Parts: sequence; C-alpha cells; structure tokens
Amino acid sequence: MNDFPLAPETPLGSPAPFWFILFFKTLGFTLHMIPMHIWFAGTVLIALFSLFGSAHARLLAHRMINALPILIALGINFGIVPLLFIQVSYYPVVYPANILIGWYWFAVIPLLIVAYYGVYYYAVQVRRNKVTARGVFCGVISSLAFLAIGYIFANNFSLMTNEPQMMAAYNRTAVGGAVTGTALNTGDPTLLPRWLMMFGLALTTAAVYILVDTVFLAKRETEEYRAWAAKFAFLLHTVGLVWFAAMGSWYLFGALSPELRQTAQSSVGVLFGLTAVAPGLVWLCMLLGRSRASDGRIALAAAAAQVVVLALNAVSRQWLQNVELARFFDPAKMRVETQWSPMIAFLVLFVLGLGVVGWMLWQLALALKPQPAMASSSGGSPKPRKR
Amino acid sequence: MHYPFWYVPGLTSPMLIALIAVFHVLVSSYAVGGGLFLAMEVRYAHRTGNKEYLAYLKQHTWFFVLLTVAYGAITGVGIWWTIGLASPLPTEFLIHTFVFGWAMEYVFFVLEIVAAFIFYYAWDRLKPRVHEQIGWIYGISAWISLVIITAVTSFMLNPGNWQNNFWLAVLNPQTIPQILARTGASLLLATLYVFLHSSFRANNASVRTLIAQRSSRPAMLGAALILLGGLGWLLTVPESARAALTGAAALNIMAVTIFLLTVVVLFMFYYGPYKNPSWVSSGFAILLFVLGVIVTAEGEFVREAVRKPFVIYNEVYSHNVLKNEVPTLQQTGFLNGGVWTRHYITQRFPEIKTAEGKIDNARLATLPQDSQVEVGHTIFQYHCGSCHASSGYSGMKEILRGWDAPMLEKLVLNLDRYHYFMPPWSGTPEEAKMLTRYLETLTSPHPMETAGGRSSGVQSAASAR
Repeated sequence: MNDFPLAPETPLGSPAPFWFILFFKTLGFTLHMIPMHIWFAGTVLIALFSLFGSAHARLLAHRMINALPILIALGINFGIVPLLFIQVSYYPVVYPANILIGWYWFAVIPLLIVAYYGVYYYAVQVRRNKVTARGVFCGVISSLAFLAIGYIFANNFSLMTNEPQMMAAYNRTAVGGAVTGTALNTGDPTLLPRWLMMFGLALTTAAVYILVDTVFLAKRETEEYRAWAAKFAFLLHTVGLVWFAAMGSWYLFGALSPELRQTAQSSVGVLFGLTAVAPGLVWLCMLLGRSRASDGRIALAAAAAQVVVLALNAVSRQWLQNVELARFFDPAKMRVETQWSPMIAFLVLFVLGLGVVGWMLWQLALALKPQPAMASSSGGSPKPRKR
Repeated sequence: MHYPFWYVPGLTSPMLIALIAVFHVLVSSYAVGGGLFLAMEVRYAHRTGNKEYLAYLKQHTWFFVLLTVAYGAITGVGIWWTIGLASPLPTEFLIHTFVFGWAMEYVFFVLEIVAAFIFYYAWDRLKPRVHEQIGWIYGISAWISLVIITAVTSFMLNPGNWQNNFWLAVLNPQTIPQILARTGASLLLATLYVFLHSSFRANNASVRTLIAQRSSRPAMLGAALILLGGLGWLLTVPESARAALTGAAALNIMAVTIFLLTVVVLFMFYYGPYKNPSWVSSGFAILLFVLGVIVTAEGEFVREAVRKPFVIYNEVYSHNVLKNEVPTLQQTGFLNGGVWTRHYITQRFPEIKTAEGKIDNARLATLPQDSQVEVGHTIFQYHCGSCHASSGYSGMKEILRGWDAPMLEKLVLNLDRYHYFMPPWSGTPEEAKMLTRYLETLTSPHPMETAGGRSSGVQSAASAR
C-alpha cells in the first residue's frame, strides 16, 4: 500500500459479496464483447470494403451493416452490466480514472451517437439499394468513432490500475487542486498493446460472425458468395489471431512490469495458457469451415468456442486487474452488507427475462419458418441473388 | 472531496448532467408513452382490419425505434456516465443503494430492445396476436423501467425514513407522485410526437383524423396524471424544497407555468383533436410539441433545483460531502477531510504539513498572501465549484460585485444561514479566511458605483455594515 489518495470506504457497504460482483462483471463483459467486437472490427471492414472491395466484399459489407443497428443496441445494453458492477466494488479507483480523463470519457457519449447514426444512415441506404458516397462516408466516420471509443476505454481501464500514472495525470492537469479532465494515459506502456490486442480479438469474433452469417443467414446469396465469405472468414480469423498473438506478446513481455508477469506466470499460468491457446481451437473450426459454407455444425462449434475464448479473456483480464490493483487497493476487503431480497428479486427477474426473450425469439423463428426465402435481411446487396 | 473535482470553466461540471438529462427525458418519455401507444394502436388496427392505419403505425415504429433505441438509450447511459464524472460521491451512494434496482432495470432494457426490434422487423411476419403481445411486452417493460428509475430520482428528493433498506428507499414518499407525473408526461409527450410525425408523414386524411381522435384520449389522461402527480409531489417534498420553490422567483414562476401550460394543453386537446380531429395541422402539432418541450424542460429544472442544498436529501450535500461528515470537517478541516485536497495542499505547501501527513490549520495564516489565495482557490473548487463558476454560470465574479472582506467571511461561515439552499460551511474558521482571500480576488466594484464615487444608497449601506 502507498500514498495514493483512495476514497474512504462507503458507509453503506457493498450490497453483494465480492464473488457475486466479479461473476456478473465478467459475465456481462463476455456478453458485451460479442456484439462489441462485431461492430469494432466490423465497421473498419465495412469502411474498407465499401471503398476498395470487390463485389463479394461489398456484399459482405452490406450484410454486416444491416445487422449492426441491432447488434449495437444489444452491445450497449450488455455493456451496462460490467460498468454497473465495476462501480460497486472498484469505485475508489474507477471514479478518479474517469475524472482525470473527464472530457474524453464524456466524449464517448457524442461519439457513440455519431457512430450509431452513421451506421443507421448507411444501413438505410443499403436497404433501399441506394448507397451513395455520403453513406459510405458515414460508415467510415462510424468506424473512426468506434476506434476512438476503444482508445478512450483502453485509457480509462489502464489508468485505473496504474496509480503512478494516475498521480502523474493529476499533477499535470490540476488547477487549484481540481482537474481539467484532459489527461490521457499515454505514458503507460500497456496502453497501446491493450487497445490493439482488443482489436485483434475483435477481428477473430467478426470472422466467426461472418461464418455464422454465411452458413445460417445468407442462404439466399449465391454459392460463389458463400464460398468466398467462408474463405474470407478463415483469412480474417487468421489475421486476427496473428494480430492478437503479436499484441498479446507485446503486452505481456514488452509492456507489463516483470513483477506482474512473474505473478501471472506463477499463480495462474494455466489460466493464461488457456487464454493464449483457446483461439487456436476456433482457428481449427474456421479452417474446417472455410470449404464448407453450408455446414452448420462447424459454424456452431466455432461460435461456441469463440464464446469460450471471450469468457477466458474476460476472466484473465479480471484476474490481472485485481493483481495490478492489489499494489494499492484490494476490493475484496471491503465491508459487505448484502441486500439479499433485492438480489433474489433481480435473479428471479433475470431468469424470467431470459424466458421472455427466449419466447420472443421462438415466436420470431416460427414466423420466419414458413417463408425461408425471406430470412435474409440484406435487402440492398450489390449483386443479384440466386433464383 | 473524496474524488478529484472535475473543473469545467464557465459552466461547472454538473451543468453537463443537466444538458444531457433534459434531452434524454424528452426522448425517454416518448420511449415509454410511445411504446404503450403502439401496442394499443396495433391491437386496434388488427381488430378493425384497418390496413392503412397499420401501414402508418409501421412507419411510425421505424421513427420510434430510430429515436428511442439509439439516441434514447445512449443518452440514458450518458446521464449515468456524466453523474459519475460531475458528482461521484452521490453516484457512489446511489450505486450502493440501488445496484439491484439498476440491475433489474437492465433486464427490462434488454426486453425492450429485443421486443422493439422484433416488433418492427417482423411486422408482416408475426401473427397479429403475437405481434400485439410483443408490443405489450415492449410497452410494459418500458413503463417498469420508468418506475424503477423514478424510484431512484424520487429517493434523491425525499428518501423518507429509509433506514438503509432497499425496499423502503424504493417506496419513498415521492415515488408514487413522481410515477404518476412521469407516466402522465410519457403519455402526453408520446401523443405530441405522434401528432408531429403524422402531420408530416401520414398522407391519408382519414388516418390523420383517426390518430387525432384516438391519441387525444391518452394525452388528456396524461395531462390529468401530471396535475395529480404534481399535486402529490408538492405535498410530499421536504420543507427545504418547498421553501426553495416558493422562495425563488424563477422557480415558482416555472412551477406555475408548468401547471398552467398543462391545463392549457388539456383544454387544447379536448376542444381540439378530441372534439375536432381535423384541426391537427402541422402548425398545431408543432405548437403543441414546443409547449410539451417547454413544460418538460422546466419540470426537470425545477426537480433538480429544489433539491439544493442536497444532491440526495439529508444524505449527500451538493458539494459532494456526506451530511454526517460536516461536524468532523468543521473540527479537523475541509482540506484534511478530502483525500485529494489534502494530497494537493500538502504537496504544494509542505511547510504546513504535520508529521502525520495532515494539514496544520493553525499554520495556514502563516503562509504568504499569494499562497493563502491559492489555498482558498482549492477550497473554492471543491466546496463551491459544483454550483458556481468563478465567472460564467452562477459566476462568483458577477455575484460578488460590491462585496468586501468582512461581508465575505461572514457569508462563508454562515452559508446555510444566508441562503438555506446552500450547504453549511464545512471547514475550520482558518479555512474560511483562506476562502475569503480567494473570493476577494473575484470581487469588483458595486454596479452602482460610479467613476467619481459610490451612489449615496450604496455608501449608506456600506457604512451601516
């Protein structure tokens, strides 16, 4: 422990045991990563393909942009869970980090609005089959906005575990003891690999999404397109994997402090090992799937394995966050005043909510079943479809 | 104090909350009322086999999804985002009280999103009964999320005797009145959106007439609920809030305006669209919408303003200090009480640091004049900066024209006595002197003071002091 000005513990106590907070924080982050990765890497792909892609590539871009409004809405909501629970147990470090980068953190809201409406604008043009340069421009702006948001998040979460950097940011931006909210964590060597590592992982998730889309949702598209898309998904996954491995190595061996690396290797080497090798399992699925654009089992296996990869990643990140923080703050030691009945009410509602969502999706599946020819949502594809 | 204070020159950081909140409420109210409207009207259109109306409703649902699921959802998160930046201690307090309330609200958010997308994207595929059911799932989920968030905002105004109990906090004295008023506002605002949209987008005159007739009923119900909820709100606000409401001219004018405009809108709906549906022209719809926006924005402003001196009544003051911390701070010092203020001052002025790493209040007066002003500036940032900019919004340079040092020191030591909507002075007398030194640098001559000397009125007032 040292001189970091930690806020005193709340007199209310933590409303739930620490394990409960960690479980939902990690679960929520895993769920958030699935759609977030698709838009994070997806908007970059869409922008590149719209500008420079072949006919198949542009069709893929159109299919992806059509799905993004729904995925973004879900992803934002799934993101609420980890952000809610991080404030319960990590408030003494989360709020200072937020405030130190205040203007950037605040800018996430307008950036997200711009990115979301940019995607909508482009998607509407695609659905009406009237894609203009302005629509593509909106797609490009959205991708830049999402990259900027990712960078701001990387700043915040690297800053909150790095107390010397927090103090340096405070001293740099203090005006009469208050802060201007203009700091960024650029002095932290872990910042860039952290941000770029997430982008690499996002490429792999987007690749799995493309395979799933090709196998299950693109049945109205031509065989040539589907064969191309399955191969492209494999290629994209390979690029993402190499990127993730390179950035992960930079992070672990080039940016993380030797003490932390030592702790990571000695205490949970198995977890980190699994996190490192698990994407390889997905890669094998993608390899099998590259020439089988109609094999649902391989696509489902790849999707399931990718969820495991993301869950392992979330657990490893959580573990590392706790170890980094342990140098000056231990959330596990905070007083707990469990709110049992509200917790039970939430869990019951959570299960009931899942049931209602399941019922709605079932009704949707039933509604779509008699007319499989209408299942695709990519109304504005640039190439004629089969039949 | 427990956290670094975010200094936003000219505006103050909490004003950023207001900026997002007002625009959010205008859309979130529509998200609730519009959801109920769509569920009800789709059912009506299915039952009556009115295909033209159904086609319009589909068109309206697209507008609804585009506005509420994107902008409404992001700005909703945006409020939460911004309160953590501008008011971290109250946010910490609310999170630890209502985390499971928010978690429950999250479940309803997910239901809303899934239902909204299926409701729109599978419009022509779902069986009519299932389509209606999904519409109701959206509408009811949206209303429950209104109930949950209203429990939190009403708690902030009057927690009642909640005894650190979640359910008592949820069922605070303000909950039901505020739920009534917010439900009413949702129904009313949704109708205004529908009128506005249909007056431009519904080409068929019979559809416009039908919308005018059918939508005016929930709007009138909404206006009545606002009046009923508003009355309940007035009866259950704490004494300090009632005093602020009646004592501040701007606030009581706003409150009366809200009441009168709601009554006017109620009559406009009755004699307009309800009795004469063909009256709903684009101009009429715009006029009603503007009135609705004014009433909503004023309502939000009043709701926020009357909470002062608290952010959470009887628990957390507007200067990010817990109520029960104040006596200790008055003994040991405001700067010592805040981990960031103590860090800053002891680093900046190590000569007044004690062996335990604290600030020696007795030694503050030994600092050179410039340093005393600097210490005062830090106190100003943390004690006053949530509500006052040095210059700009509620700016001290503008407020303190003509004040002198003795007046300032008296004011600082008796903040809550001079103005009951301000928090009590939360430091030592020595710190009050430091703040006074800083405030002196912000003063300028009295506006009535002329180049040749003060006017007689100002002079006599000054001499009387």
